[in-house]
Amino acid sequence: MTFRVLDPTAEKTAPLGQAAPRLDTLQGKTVGFISNGKEGTKGFFRHLERLLREEHGVAEVVSRTKSNYSAPADAHIAAEIRRWDAVISGIGD
Amino acid sequence: MQLSSRTYDVDSISAVQELYHSNGWTDGLPIVPPTEDAVRACLDWVMMPPDQLIGIEPVRGLAITVEKLAVNSVMAGCLPMHFPVVVTAWTAMMQEPFLIHGATASTGGCAVLVVLNGPVRREIGASGGFNALGNSDRATAAIGRAIRLCLINLMDVRPGAIDRSTLGHPGKFSYCIAEDEEDSSWLPLHQQRGVEKEASAVTVMAAGAPRQIMNEWTTRPEEILETFAAEMRANLRHYSIHPGNYALIIPKQLREHLQAAKWSKTDIANFIHERARIHRREWADVGKGAVVRDRGDSVYPAMESPDQLLVVAAGGPAGGFGAVIPPWLGNKSHAVTVPVGVCIDCEPPKS
Repeated sequence: MTFRVLDPTAEKTAPLGQAAPRLDTLQGKTVGFISNGKEGTKGFFRHLERLLREEHGVAEVVSRTKSNYSAPADAHIAAEIRRWDAVISGIGD
Repeated sequence: MQLSSRTYDVDSISAVQELYHSNGWTDGLPIVPPTEDAVRACLDWVMMPPDQLIGIEPVRGLAITVEKLAVNSVMAGCLPMHFPVVVTAWTAMMQEPFLIHGATASTGGCAVLVVLNGPVRREIGASGGFNALGNSDRATAAIGRAIRLCLINLMDVRPGAIDRSTLGHPGKFSYCIAEDEEDSSWLPLHQQRGVEKEASAVTVMAAGAPRQIMNEWTTRPEEILETFAAEMRANLRHYSIHPGNYALIIPKQLREHLQAAKWSKTDIANFIHERARIHRREWADVGKGAVVRDRGDSVYPAMESPDQLLVVAAGGPAGGFGAVIPPWLGNKSHAVTVPVGVCIDCEPPKS
């Protein structure tokens, strides 16, 4: 007996989530951190900021923390992203 | 009615199983082959076209259509008459307060608890009696499983992919119960939450595993409910201190003592709201002293307000048991109740 069965997946690629163009260099750039606010982000981002400034010549680091660590970034944080050259979004688990 | 899903011609029932398992389209258990006829029967029952949009997943912009819900529901073992409940549950899950991405992706590992109310329960044979939180009946078993298969296949909520659960719990296979409205003098959950009693409704909650309690040694409401409150305090200490929707499942034996004393669900919620709370300093008792800081005297109630408590009459007739079902993580996700909006009592249209 032959069964004709249907694909259960969405089958369509999500319209969101395209990668931004890569930077040639971090020298003199502004990098934004978006933390989910968990305890583990504090030490991680502190260390990362030092590395970016001292070893990669990043000019400015802007740190922001989401109000709900399980939800997308707040609108006011997302609106700031256009003023940054790169974003690092991190979780603290 | 033109379906848009890709089709596969497969030679045998065992080959169907292997096709679905090998593609990661199952929960690890065998599935019912989702044939075009079976899927169409579900769509006929809800009288919706295949491309009917139930919602857009907000983080990745994924469209949730009724055809795909039907494919996964058939796989889960749903009959067409079960399908309106799946559609309604998904409608509820797509509401913003449910926070579907966080609730299904989180390391916290919650499941979607589905509570059925109203006439639909009896029409589909959903039982709120024996083994209510386990394998109580075909309808709730299949509906709960359909919710999970839809998450897996429509949102890639697979372990290690979008589902980042550290542990998860058995409710992630199926977590659906019906309230025992007939054997209770309380307002049913949906009426308590603003839906007409005569309507059918589905309530969804991002929920941890049930925590069972027992108190067979009193008939006093305050003492019975103190046992529930103590379990909630334990959850506040051992898991999360943040307030949110908790559910209490109260079976008949304990329910009858409460009802004999004329305690309503609102009375229960008011009592629990007062009793289920801890000081932040108690976290130091259970190894979490590092985050008490200078807020040790702050009081954390299990719910922000009494109406955040979902009291459900369900369970077998004997045994002084009950269960506390805690929220995934405080108020990050809110329980959502939606009436079943389709003509559940109608005959499906003749094809």
